[in-house]
Amino acid sequence: MSLDRLQQRYDVVVVGGGPAGLAAALGARDAGAERVLMLDREPEAGGILLQCIHSGFGLHHLKAELTGPEYAEHFIERVVDRDVDLVTRSYVSAIGLDSDGRHRVRVMREDHGISTIDAGAVVLAMGCRERTRGAIRIPGTRPSGVLTAGLAQKFVNLMGLLPGKRIAILGSGDIGLIMARRLTLEGCEVVGVFELMPYSNGLTRNVVQCLEDFGIPLHLSTTVTGIHGRDRVEKITVAPVVDGAPDLSRKRDVPCDTLLLSIGLIPENELSQSLGMAFDMGTAGPRVSSTMMTSLPGVFACGNVLHVHDLVDYVSAEALLTGGFAGEYAQGLRRPQDNIRLVPGQNVAYCVPQTLSPGREQTVYMRCREPMRPCALHVGDLLEKKLPFVVPAETIVLKLKPDLLERFHGEALQIDLRPRDGGQP
Amino acid sequence: MSETRSFVCIGCPIGCPLVLTHEGREVTEVRGNDCDRGAKYARQEFTDPRRSLSTTVAIAGARWPRLPVKVTKQLPKDRIREAATLLHALRVEAPVERGRVLVKDLLGEPGADVVACRGMARRDGG
Repeated sequence: MSLDRLQQRYDVVVVGGGPAGLAAALGARDAGAERVLMLDREPEAGGILLQCIHSGFGLHHLKAELTGPEYAEHFIERVVDRDVDLVTRSYVSAIGLDSDGRHRVRVMREDHGISTIDAGAVVLAMGCRERTRGAIRIPGTRPSGVLTAGLAQKFVNLMGLLPGKRIAILGSGDIGLIMARRLTLEGCEVVGVFELMPYSNGLTRNVVQCLEDFGIPLHLSTTVTGIHGRDRVEKITVAPVVDGAPDLSRKRDVPCDTLLLSIGLIPENELSQSLGMAFDMGTAGPRVSSTMMTSLPGVFACGNVLHVHDLVDYVSAEALLTGGFAGEYAQGLRRPQDNIRLVPGQNVAYCVPQTLSPGREQTVYMRCREPMRPCALHVGDLLEKKLPFVVPAETIVLKLKPDLLERFHGEALQIDLRPRDGGQP
Repeated sequence: MSETRSFVCIGCPIGCPLVLTHEGREVTEVRGNDCDRGAKYARQEFTDPRRSLSTTVAIAGARWPRLPVKVTKQLPKDRIREAATLLHALRVEAPVERGRVLVKDLLGEPGADVVACRGMARRDGG
Protein backbone atom coordinates (compact mmCIF):
# COMPACT_ATOMS: atom_id res chain seq x y z
CA MET A 1 0.00 0.00 0.00
CA SER A 2 1.05 3.48 -0.61
CA LEU A 3 -0.53 5.87 1.82
CA ASP A 4 -1.67 9.19 0.41
CA ARG A 5 -0.03 8.57 -2.95
CA LEU A 6 -2.54 9.58 -5.58
CA GLN A 7 -1.78 8.54 -9.14
CA GLN A 8 -3.40 9.78 -12.34
CA ARG A 9 -4.92 6.56 -13.60
CA TYR A 10 -6.52 3.58 -11.87
CA ASP A 11 -8.40 0.46 -12.91
CA VAL A 12 -10.86 0.76 -10.02
CA VAL A 13 -11.55 3.68 -7.69
CA VAL A 14 -13.47 2.82 -4.50
CA VAL A 15 -15.27 5.71 -2.80
CA GLY A 16 -15.32 5.00 0.95
CA GLY A 17 -12.95 3.01 3.18
CA GLY A 18 -15.43 1.34 5.53
CA PRO A 19 -16.26 -2.37 5.48
CA ALA A 20 -17.83 -2.15 2.01
CA GLY A 21 -14.93 -0.20 0.48
CA LEU A 22 -12.30 -2.45 2.06
CA ALA A 23 -13.88 -5.65 0.74
CA ALA A 24 -14.60 -4.08 -2.67
CA ALA A 25 -10.94 -3.10 -3.02
CA LEU A 26 -9.92 -6.69 -2.21
CA GLY A 27 -12.50 -8.07 -4.63
CA ALA A 28 -11.18 -5.85 -7.41
CA ARG A 29 -7.60 -7.01 -6.78
CA ASP A 30 -8.73 -10.65 -6.66
CA ALA A 31 -10.40 -10.16 -10.06
CA GLY A 32 -7.08 -9.05 -11.52
CA ALA A 33 -7.37 -5.25 -11.40
CA GLU A 34 -3.78 -4.04 -10.99
CA ARG A 35 -4.25 -0.50 -9.81
CA VAL A 36 -6.91 0.05 -7.15
CA LEU A 37 -7.48 3.26 -5.20
CA MET A 38 -9.56 3.56 -2.04
CA LEU A 39 -10.59 7.04 -0.86
CA ASP A 40 -11.94 7.94 2.58
CA ARG A 41 -12.84 11.26 4.16
CA GLU A 42 -11.75 10.20 7.67
CA PRO A 43 -8.10 10.19 8.81
CA GLU A 44 -8.00 6.37 8.68
CA ALA A 45 -9.83 3.52 6.97
CA GLY A 46 -12.28 1.26 8.80
CA GLY A 47 -15.42 3.37 8.78
CA ILE A 48 -17.96 3.02 11.55
CA LEU A 49 -16.44 -0.32 12.64
CA LEU A 50 -13.76 1.63 14.51
CA GLN A 51 -16.31 2.96 16.99
CA CYS A 52 -18.31 -0.29 17.27
CA ILE A 53 -16.15 -1.70 20.07
CA HIS A 54 -18.64 -4.42 21.03
CA SER A 55 -18.28 -8.01 19.95
CA GLY A 56 -20.36 -9.96 17.44
CA PHE A 57 -18.80 -9.16 14.07
CA GLY A 58 -17.46 -11.78 11.69
CA LEU A 59 -19.49 -14.81 12.82
CA HIS A 60 -20.61 -15.55 9.25
CA HIS A 61 -17.81 -14.18 7.08
CA LEU A 62 -14.73 -14.90 9.19
CA LYS A 63 -16.12 -17.66 11.44
CA ALA A 64 -14.87 -15.80 14.51
CA GLU A 65 -16.54 -13.42 16.94
CA LEU A 66 -14.65 -10.14 16.70
CA THR A 67 -15.08 -6.57 17.89
CA GLY A 68 -15.55 -3.86 15.24
CA PRO A 69 -11.95 -2.57 15.40
CA GLU A 70 -10.60 -6.14 15.06
CA TYR A 71 -12.82 -6.82 12.07
CA ALA A 72 -11.70 -3.56 10.44
CA GLU A 73 -8.02 -4.22 11.07
CA HIS A 74 -8.30 -7.71 9.59
CA PHE A 75 -9.47 -6.15 6.30
CA ILE A 76 -7.12 -3.14 6.43
CA GLU A 77 -4.11 -5.47 6.76
CA ARG A 78 -5.21 -7.46 3.72
CA VAL A 79 -5.80 -4.31 1.67
CA VAL A 80 -2.31 -3.12 2.63
CA ASP A 81 -0.83 -6.48 1.63
CA ARG A 82 -2.51 -6.26 -1.78
CA ASP A 83 -0.94 -2.90 -2.68
CA VAL A 84 -4.14 -0.91 -2.78
CA ASP A 85 -3.50 2.84 -2.69
CA LEU A 86 -5.33 4.32 0.31
CA VAL A 87 -5.86 8.06 0.42
CA THR A 88 -7.56 9.42 3.56
CA ARG A 89 -8.96 12.86 4.37
CA SER A 90 -10.20 13.02 0.80
CA TYR A 91 -13.64 13.75 -0.65
CA VAL A 92 -15.08 12.82 -4.02
CA SER A 93 -17.06 15.79 -5.30
CA ALA A 94 -17.98 14.59 -8.78
CA ILE A 95 -17.72 11.66 -11.17
CA GLY A 96 -18.03 12.08 -14.92
CA LEU A 97 -18.22 9.56 -17.73
CA ASP A 98 -15.92 10.39 -20.61
CA SER A 99 -16.58 9.63 -24.28
CA ASP A 100 -13.84 6.96 -24.15
CA GLY A 101 -15.94 5.04 -21.59
CA ARG A 102 -13.59 5.85 -18.71
CA HIS A 103 -14.52 7.79 -15.60
CA ARG A 104 -13.13 11.05 -14.29
CA VAL A 105 -13.24 11.19 -10.50
CA ARG A 106 -12.75 14.58 -8.88
CA VAL A 107 -11.00 14.31 -5.52
CA MET A 108 -10.65 17.12 -2.99
CA ARG A 109 -7.96 17.02 -0.32
CA GLU A 110 -7.33 19.60 2.34
CA ASP A 111 -3.56 19.75 1.79
CA HIS A 112 -3.45 19.12 -1.95
CA GLY A 113 -6.47 20.84 -3.46
CA ILE A 114 -8.42 19.27 -6.30
CA SER A 115 -7.20 16.38 -8.48
CA THR A 116 -8.91 14.54 -11.31
CA ILE A 117 -8.37 10.79 -11.48
CA ASP A 118 -8.96 8.57 -14.49
CA ALA A 119 -10.76 5.32 -13.56
CA GLY A 120 -11.90 2.28 -15.53
CA ALA A 121 -14.63 1.55 -12.99
CA VAL A 122 -15.93 3.19 -9.82
CA VAL A 123 -17.37 1.49 -6.72
CA LEU A 124 -19.67 3.61 -4.54
CA ALA A 125 -19.24 2.53 -0.90
CA MET A 126 -20.11 5.64 1.10
CA GLY A 127 -22.24 3.87 3.69
CA CYS A 128 -25.17 5.48 5.47
CA ARG A 129 -25.90 8.09 8.07
CA GLU A 130 -28.34 8.41 10.93
CA ARG A 131 -31.74 10.01 10.85
CA THR A 132 -31.84 13.08 13.08
CA ARG A 133 -34.43 14.96 15.13
CA GLY A 134 -35.49 16.88 12.01
CA ALA A 135 -36.52 13.66 10.27
CA ILE A 136 -39.24 12.94 12.85
CA ARG A 137 -39.96 16.52 13.93
CA ILE A 138 -39.98 16.20 17.71
CA PRO A 139 -41.63 19.38 19.06
CA GLY A 140 -40.02 21.54 21.74
CA THR A 141 -37.01 23.74 22.35
CA ARG A 142 -33.63 23.29 20.69
CA PRO A 143 -31.20 22.82 23.58
CA SER A 144 -27.84 21.06 23.47
CA GLY A 145 -27.94 17.40 24.50
CA VAL A 146 -30.00 15.99 21.62
CA LEU A 147 -27.80 13.80 19.41
CA THR A 148 -27.83 10.59 17.41
CA ALA A 149 -26.75 7.37 19.10
CA GLY A 150 -23.92 6.81 16.61
CA LEU A 151 -22.48 10.26 17.24
CA ALA A 152 -22.59 9.57 20.97
CA GLN A 153 -20.79 6.29 20.22
CA LYS A 154 -18.01 8.20 18.45
CA PHE A 155 -17.73 10.67 21.35
CA VAL A 156 -17.49 7.89 23.95
CA ASN A 157 -15.47 5.22 22.15
CA LEU A 158 -13.03 7.27 20.08
CA MET A 159 -12.86 10.72 21.62
CA GLY A 160 -13.32 9.84 25.30
CA LEU A 161 -16.18 12.31 25.85
CA LEU A 162 -19.46 11.54 27.65
CA PRO A 163 -22.56 13.16 26.11
CA GLY A 164 -24.30 13.66 29.48
CA LYS A 165 -25.16 12.08 32.83
CA ARG A 166 -28.87 11.17 32.69
CA ILE A 167 -29.65 9.71 29.30
CA ALA A 168 -32.95 8.91 27.59
CA ILE A 169 -32.91 6.97 24.32
CA LEU A 170 -35.55 7.11 21.59
CA GLY A 171 -35.56 4.04 19.37
CA SER A 172 -34.68 0.47 20.28
CA GLY A 173 -32.59 -0.44 17.24
CA ASP A 174 -29.33 -2.18 17.98
CA ILE A 175 -27.28 1.04 18.11
CA GLY A 176 -29.63 2.48 20.75
CA LEU A 177 -29.52 -0.72 22.83
CA ILE A 178 -25.74 -1.00 22.62
CA MET A 179 -25.30 2.63 23.62
CA ALA A 180 -27.61 2.09 26.62
CA ARG A 181 -25.18 -0.55 27.91
CA ARG A 182 -22.10 1.38 26.91
CA LEU A 183 -23.12 4.56 28.73
CA THR A 184 -24.16 2.56 31.80
CA LEU A 185 -20.72 0.94 31.94
CA GLU A 186 -19.15 4.39 31.63
CA GLY A 187 -21.06 5.55 34.69
CA CYS A 188 -24.06 7.35 33.16
CA GLU A 189 -27.64 6.70 34.24
CA VAL A 190 -29.85 5.55 31.36
CA VAL A 191 -33.39 6.43 32.45
CA GLY A 192 -35.18 4.49 29.72
CA VAL A 193 -35.42 3.41 26.11
CA PHE A 194 -38.59 4.48 24.29
CA GLU A 195 -39.83 2.65 21.21
CA LEU A 196 -42.65 3.76 18.92
CA MET A 197 -43.41 0.23 17.71
CA PRO A 198 -44.98 -2.52 19.85
CA TYR A 199 -41.77 -4.56 19.43
CA SER A 200 -38.05 -3.79 19.69
CA ASN A 201 -36.26 -3.18 16.42
CA GLY A 202 -33.07 -4.65 17.87
CA LEU A 203 -31.96 -8.23 18.26
CA THR A 204 -33.44 -10.04 21.26
CA ARG A 205 -29.97 -10.80 22.56
CA ASN A 206 -29.29 -7.07 22.70
CA VAL A 207 -32.53 -6.38 24.60
CA VAL A 208 -31.46 -8.99 27.16
CA GLN A 209 -27.74 -8.19 27.38
CA CYS A 210 -27.93 -4.41 27.06
CA LEU A 211 -31.14 -3.51 28.91
CA GLU A 212 -32.40 -6.33 31.14
CA ASP A 213 -28.95 -7.13 32.54
CA PHE A 214 -28.67 -3.53 33.75
CA GLY A 215 -32.28 -2.97 34.77
CA ILE A 216 -32.87 -0.34 32.05
CA PRO A 217 -36.59 -0.05 31.27
CA LEU A 218 -37.81 -0.52 27.67
CA HIS A 219 -41.08 1.32 27.00
CA LEU A 220 -42.72 -0.14 23.87
CA SER A 221 -45.47 1.71 21.96
CA THR A 222 -44.16 4.95 23.48
CA THR A 223 -42.62 7.98 21.82
CA VAL A 224 -41.08 11.32 22.71
CA THR A 225 -43.53 14.18 22.17
CA GLY A 226 -41.53 17.07 23.57
CA ILE A 227 -38.02 18.28 24.42
CA HIS A 228 -37.63 20.88 27.16
CA GLY A 229 -34.76 23.07 28.37
CA ARG A 230 -33.23 26.37 27.33
CA ASP A 231 -29.49 25.77 26.98
CA ARG A 232 -29.41 22.10 27.90
CA VAL A 233 -32.04 19.37 27.86
CA GLU A 234 -33.85 19.37 31.23
CA LYS A 235 -36.61 16.86 30.55
CA ILE A 236 -38.54 15.16 27.77
CA THR A 237 -42.24 14.40 27.45
CA VAL A 238 -43.26 10.88 26.45
CA ALA A 239 -46.68 9.48 25.56
CA PRO A 240 -48.09 6.05 24.73
CA VAL A 241 -48.80 5.39 21.06
CA VAL A 242 -52.29 4.20 20.15
CA ASP A 243 -53.14 3.38 16.53
CA GLY A 244 -50.02 5.11 15.32
CA ALA A 245 -50.56 8.42 17.13
CA PRO A 246 -49.38 9.56 20.58
CA ASP A 247 -52.14 9.70 23.24
CA LEU A 248 -51.32 13.10 24.77
CA SER A 249 -53.93 12.67 27.52
CA ARG A 250 -51.54 10.12 29.06
CA LYS A 251 -48.27 11.99 28.52
CA ARG A 252 -45.67 12.28 31.28
CA ASP A 253 -42.35 14.03 31.82
CA VAL A 254 -39.02 12.25 32.17
CA PRO A 255 -36.14 14.29 33.67
CA CYS A 256 -32.86 13.83 31.76
CA ASP A 257 -29.99 15.93 30.37
CA THR A 258 -29.46 14.02 27.13
CA LEU A 259 -31.68 12.46 24.46
CA LEU A 260 -30.07 9.94 22.11
CA LEU A 261 -31.85 9.20 18.84
CA SER A 262 -31.60 5.72 17.34
CA ILE A 263 -34.33 6.11 14.76
CA GLY A 264 -32.97 4.63 11.60
CA LEU A 265 -30.29 4.93 8.96
CA ILE A 266 -30.37 6.45 5.47
CA PRO A 267 -28.02 5.45 2.63
CA GLU A 268 -25.67 8.39 1.99
CA ASN A 269 -26.31 9.02 -1.68
CA GLU A 270 -25.76 12.71 -2.40
CA LEU A 271 -22.88 11.83 -4.75
CA SER A 272 -24.85 9.01 -6.42
CA GLN A 273 -27.88 11.27 -6.92
CA SER A 274 -25.73 13.97 -8.51
CA LEU A 275 -24.71 11.41 -11.15
CA GLY A 276 -28.31 10.90 -12.24
CA MET A 277 -28.55 7.14 -11.74
CA ALA A 278 -31.81 5.22 -11.19
CA PHE A 279 -32.93 4.77 -7.58
CA ASP A 280 -35.11 2.27 -5.71
CA MET A 281 -37.77 3.83 -3.47
CA GLY A 282 -37.71 0.76 -1.22
CA THR A 283 -34.00 0.90 -0.36
CA ALA A 284 -33.35 4.64 -0.87
CA GLY A 285 -30.25 3.45 -2.73
CA PRO A 286 -29.27 2.99 -6.37
CA ARG A 287 -30.88 0.21 -8.40
CA VAL A 288 -28.27 -2.40 -9.28
CA SER A 289 -28.02 -5.31 -11.69
CA SER A 290 -26.92 -8.83 -10.80
CA THR A 291 -23.33 -7.58 -11.20
CA MET A 292 -24.01 -4.79 -8.69
CA MET A 293 -23.73 -2.18 -11.43
CA THR A 294 -25.92 0.90 -11.19
CA SER A 295 -27.80 2.24 -14.20
CA LEU A 296 -24.58 4.08 -15.14
CA PRO A 297 -22.13 1.84 -17.01
CA GLY A 298 -19.01 1.14 -14.96
CA VAL A 299 -20.37 2.61 -11.72
CA PHE A 300 -21.02 -0.05 -9.07
CA ALA A 301 -22.46 0.18 -5.53
CA CYS A 302 -22.29 -1.99 -2.41
CA GLY A 303 -22.77 -1.90 1.34
CA ASN A 304 -25.02 0.52 3.20
CA VAL A 305 -25.06 3.02 0.35
CA LEU A 306 -27.12 0.42 -1.49
CA HIS A 307 -29.43 -0.69 1.32
CA VAL A 308 -28.98 -0.67 5.09
CA HIS A 309 -27.55 -4.03 6.21
CA ASP A 310 -27.92 -5.43 9.71
CA LEU A 311 -24.74 -7.52 9.66
CA VAL A 312 -21.32 -6.33 8.50
CA ASP A 313 -20.67 -9.90 7.34
CA TYR A 314 -23.27 -9.44 4.61
CA VAL A 315 -21.66 -6.13 3.62
CA SER A 316 -18.26 -7.81 3.22
CA ALA A 317 -19.66 -10.69 1.16
CA GLU A 318 -21.65 -8.35 -1.09
CA ALA A 319 -18.73 -5.91 -1.50
CA LEU A 320 -16.20 -8.63 -2.36
CA LEU A 321 -18.47 -9.67 -5.25
CA THR A 322 -19.06 -6.06 -6.27
CA GLY A 323 -15.35 -5.28 -6.31
CA GLY A 324 -14.83 -8.39 -8.42
CA PHE A 325 -17.39 -7.26 -11.01
CA ALA A 326 -15.85 -3.75 -11.05
CA GLY A 327 -12.39 -5.27 -11.54
CA GLU A 328 -13.65 -7.36 -14.47
CA TYR A 329 -15.35 -4.34 -16.00
CA ALA A 330 -12.16 -2.28 -15.74
CA GLN A 331 -10.37 -5.01 -17.69
CA GLY A 332 -12.92 -4.85 -20.49
CA LEU A 333 -15.23 -7.75 -19.62
CA ARG A 334 -18.87 -6.97 -20.45
CA ARG A 335 -21.63 -9.30 -19.25
CA PRO A 336 -25.01 -9.55 -20.97
CA GLN A 337 -27.75 -7.31 -19.60
CA ASP A 338 -30.11 -8.88 -17.04
CA ASN A 339 -33.46 -10.03 -18.39
CA ILE A 340 -35.40 -10.72 -15.17
CA ARG A 341 -36.78 -7.97 -12.96
CA LEU A 342 -37.48 -8.79 -9.29
CA VAL A 343 -40.79 -7.44 -7.96
CA PRO A 344 -41.23 -7.11 -4.17
CA GLY A 345 -44.69 -8.58 -3.46
CA GLN A 346 -46.61 -9.40 -0.27
CA ASN A 347 -44.77 -8.30 2.90
CA VAL A 348 -41.51 -7.67 0.98
CA ALA A 349 -40.11 -4.15 1.35
CA TYR A 350 -37.31 -4.57 -1.18
CA CYS A 351 -34.98 -6.97 -3.00
CA VAL A 352 -31.31 -6.30 -3.88
CA PRO A 353 -30.15 -6.66 -6.60
CA GLN A 354 -33.21 -5.48 -8.49
CA THR A 355 -32.56 -7.56 -11.63
CA LEU A 356 -31.10 -11.02 -12.32
CA SER A 357 -29.71 -13.16 -15.11
CA PRO A 358 -30.05 -16.94 -15.33
CA GLY A 359 -27.05 -19.25 -15.35
CA ARG A 360 -25.17 -17.86 -12.35
CA GLU A 361 -25.52 -18.39 -8.61
CA GLN A 362 -27.20 -15.32 -7.16
CA THR A 363 -27.59 -13.99 -3.64
CA VAL A 364 -30.66 -11.81 -3.12
CA TYR A 365 -30.96 -9.70 0.04
CA MET A 366 -34.44 -8.67 1.11
CA ARG A 367 -36.34 -7.22 4.03
CA CYS A 368 -39.91 -7.81 5.21
CA ARG A 369 -42.38 -5.09 6.11
CA GLU A 370 -44.04 -6.79 9.13
CA PRO A 371 -43.03 -9.59 11.52
CA MET A 372 -44.49 -12.96 10.45
CA ARG A 373 -44.06 -16.46 11.91
CA PRO A 374 -44.03 -19.08 10.60
CA CYS A 375 -44.01 -18.14 6.95
CA ALA A 376 -42.82 -19.12 3.50
CA LEU A 377 -40.88 -17.22 0.88
CA HIS A 378 -42.30 -17.68 -2.62
CA VAL A 379 -40.10 -16.93 -5.64
CA GLY A 380 -42.76 -16.82 -8.35
CA ASP A 381 -43.76 -20.46 -8.89
CA LEU A 382 -40.12 -21.53 -8.95
CA LEU A 383 -39.34 -21.95 -5.30
CA GLU A 384 -40.99 -22.04 -1.89
CA LYS A 385 -38.73 -21.72 1.14
CA LYS A 386 -40.13 -22.23 4.64
CA LEU A 387 -38.87 -19.78 7.25
CA PRO A 388 -39.47 -20.06 11.02
CA PHE A 389 -39.91 -16.28 11.30
CA VAL A 390 -39.15 -12.95 9.67
CA VAL A 391 -38.75 -9.54 11.35
CA PRO A 392 -38.02 -6.18 9.72
CA ALA A 393 -34.74 -5.88 11.66
CA GLU A 394 -33.35 -9.05 10.03
CA THR A 395 -32.24 -9.28 6.41
CA ILE A 396 -33.51 -12.33 4.56
CA VAL A 397 -30.73 -13.89 2.48
CA LEU A 398 -31.87 -16.00 -0.47
CA LYS A 399 -29.37 -18.01 -2.47
CA LEU A 400 -30.57 -19.00 -5.94
CA LYS A 401 -28.96 -21.94 -7.74
CA PRO A 402 -27.65 -21.30 -11.28
CA ASP A 403 -30.27 -23.49 -12.99
CA LEU A 404 -33.32 -22.16 -11.09
CA LEU A 405 -33.88 -19.11 -13.28
CA GLU A 406 -33.48 -21.18 -16.49
CA ARG A 407 -36.99 -22.47 -15.76
CA PHE A 408 -38.45 -18.96 -15.71
CA HIS A 409 -39.88 -17.60 -18.96
CA GLY A 410 -41.16 -14.17 -17.98
CA GLU A 411 -39.82 -10.69 -17.50
CA ALA A 412 -41.00 -9.89 -13.93
CA LEU A 413 -40.47 -12.34 -11.06
CA GLN A 414 -42.52 -11.62 -7.94
CA ILE A 415 -41.28 -12.46 -4.44
CA ASP A 416 -43.84 -12.89 -1.64
CA LEU A 417 -43.77 -13.73 2.06
CA ARG A 418 -46.96 -15.57 3.01
CA PRO A 419 -48.01 -16.94 6.39
CA ARG A 420 -47.99 -20.69 6.82
CA ASP A 421 -50.61 -22.65 8.78
CA GLY A 422 -50.77 -21.39 12.36
CA GLY A 423 -48.92 -18.24 11.40
CA GLN A 424 -49.89 -14.81 12.61
CA PRO A 425 -49.92 -12.02 10.05
CA MET B 1 -40.19 -28.88 45.88
CA SER B 2 -40.11 -27.74 42.22
CA GLU B 3 -39.66 -24.08 41.33
CA THR B 4 -39.42 -22.35 37.97
CA ARG B 5 -37.36 -19.52 36.45
CA SER B 6 -38.10 -17.75 33.14
CA PHE B 7 -35.49 -16.59 30.59
CA VAL B 8 -35.54 -15.22 27.06
CA CYS B 9 -33.02 -17.14 24.98
CA ILE B 10 -30.26 -14.97 23.44
CA GLY B 11 -28.90 -17.71 21.19
CA CYS B 12 -30.50 -16.29 18.05
CA PRO B 13 -32.97 -13.57 17.03
CA ILE B 14 -36.09 -15.73 17.59
CA GLY B 15 -35.75 -15.25 21.37
CA CYS B 16 -37.59 -18.32 22.66
CA PRO B 17 -39.33 -17.80 26.03
CA LEU B 18 -37.71 -20.45 28.26
CA VAL B 19 -39.08 -21.90 31.49
CA LEU B 20 -36.59 -23.78 33.64
CA THR B 21 -37.81 -26.06 36.43
CA HIS B 22 -35.47 -26.86 39.30
CA GLU B 23 -35.39 -28.53 42.71
CA GLY B 24 -32.86 -26.58 44.74
CA ARG B 25 -29.74 -26.29 42.55
CA GLU B 26 -30.74 -29.24 40.34
CA VAL B 27 -32.32 -28.48 36.95
CA THR B 28 -35.13 -30.92 36.22
CA GLU B 29 -36.58 -29.53 32.98
CA VAL B 30 -36.26 -26.76 30.37
CA ARG B 31 -39.30 -25.94 28.21
CA GLY B 32 -40.08 -23.42 25.48
CA ASN B 33 -36.85 -23.90 23.52
CA ASP B 34 -37.08 -24.53 19.77
CA CYS B 35 -33.54 -25.95 19.67
CA ASP B 36 -30.78 -27.33 21.91
CA ARG B 37 -29.08 -23.99 22.30
CA GLY B 38 -32.05 -22.76 24.34
CA ALA B 39 -31.77 -25.60 26.86
CA LYS B 40 -28.02 -25.05 27.18
CA TYR B 41 -28.46 -21.30 27.61
CA ALA B 42 -31.12 -21.73 30.32
CA ARG B 43 -28.92 -24.16 32.28
CA GLN B 44 -25.90 -21.82 32.03
CA GLU B 45 -28.03 -18.81 32.98
CA PHE B 46 -29.40 -20.68 36.01
CA THR B 47 -26.13 -22.09 37.31
CA ASP B 48 -23.50 -19.47 36.34
CA PRO B 49 -24.68 -16.56 34.16
CA ARG B 50 -21.75 -14.96 32.28
CA ARG B 51 -21.29 -12.09 29.81
CA SER B 52 -18.58 -10.78 27.49
CA LEU B 53 -17.11 -7.36 28.16
CA SER B 54 -15.57 -4.91 25.72
CA THR B 55 -14.84 -1.31 26.63
CA THR B 56 -12.19 1.38 26.07
CA VAL B 57 -9.21 2.54 28.10
CA ALA B 58 -7.28 5.81 28.08
CA ILE B 59 -4.30 5.95 25.73
CA ALA B 60 -1.71 8.73 25.48
CA GLY B 61 0.27 9.71 22.37
CA ALA B 62 -2.11 8.16 19.80
CA ARG B 63 -4.51 9.51 17.17
CA TRP B 64 -7.48 9.00 19.49
CA PRO B 65 -7.55 9.30 23.30
CA ARG B 66 -9.34 5.92 23.73
CA LEU B 67 -8.16 2.41 22.90
CA PRO B 68 -10.79 -0.32 22.42
CA VAL B 69 -10.17 -3.43 24.54
CA LYS B 70 -11.91 -6.72 25.24
CA VAL B 71 -11.78 -9.36 27.95
CA THR B 72 -10.80 -12.74 26.50
CA LYS B 73 -13.16 -14.77 28.70
CA GLN B 74 -16.74 -14.25 29.79
CA LEU B 75 -17.10 -12.83 33.28
CA PRO B 76 -19.80 -13.48 35.88
CA LYS B 77 -22.79 -11.34 34.90
CA ASP B 78 -23.07 -9.61 38.28
CA ARG B 79 -19.41 -8.47 38.13
CA ILE B 80 -19.50 -6.79 34.68
CA ARG B 81 -20.00 -3.30 36.10
CA GLU B 82 -17.22 -3.84 38.64
CA ALA B 83 -14.87 -4.99 35.85
CA ALA B 84 -15.70 -1.99 33.64
CA THR B 85 -15.16 0.40 36.53
CA LEU B 86 -11.75 -1.16 37.28
CA LEU B 87 -10.70 -0.48 33.69
CA HIS B 88 -11.63 3.22 33.99
CA ALA B 89 -8.36 3.68 35.88
CA LEU B 90 -6.15 1.95 33.30
CA ARG B 91 -3.78 4.18 31.27
CA VAL B 92 -1.63 2.97 28.39
CA GLU B 93 0.97 4.65 26.21
CA ALA B 94 1.12 4.47 22.39
CA PRO B 95 2.30 2.63 20.38
CA VAL B 96 0.13 -0.43 21.01
CA GLU B 97 -0.34 -3.40 18.69
CA ARG B 98 -3.53 -5.44 18.38
CA GLY B 99 -3.70 -8.36 20.79
CA ARG B 100 -1.33 -6.91 23.39
CA VAL B 101 -2.30 -8.07 26.89
CA LEU B 102 -2.82 -5.01 29.08
CA VAL B 103 -4.12 -6.75 32.23
CA LYS B 104 -3.90 -10.45 33.10
CA ASP B 105 -6.62 -12.36 34.94
CA LEU B 106 -9.09 -9.52 35.47
CA LEU B 107 -11.08 -9.91 38.73
CA GLY B 108 -8.78 -12.85 39.53
CA GLU B 109 -10.46 -14.96 36.79
CA PRO B 110 -7.81 -17.15 35.18
CA GLY B 111 -7.69 -16.46 31.42
CA ALA B 112 -9.75 -13.27 31.61
CA ASP B 113 -7.11 -11.03 30.04
CA VAL B 114 -7.70 -7.48 28.83
CA VAL B 115 -6.30 -7.16 25.30
CA ALA B 116 -6.08 -4.31 22.77
CA CYS B 117 -8.56 -4.68 19.89
CA ARG B 118 -6.50 -2.60 17.44
CA GLY B 119 -3.10 -1.17 16.91
CA MET B 120 -2.45 2.53 17.55
CA ALA B 121 0.70 4.19 16.31
CA ARG B 122 2.68 6.79 18.24
CA ARG B 123 1.81 10.32 17.12
CA ASP B 124 3.81 12.97 18.89
CA GLY B 125 2.07 16.26 19.30
CA GLY B 126 -0.95 14.96 17.40
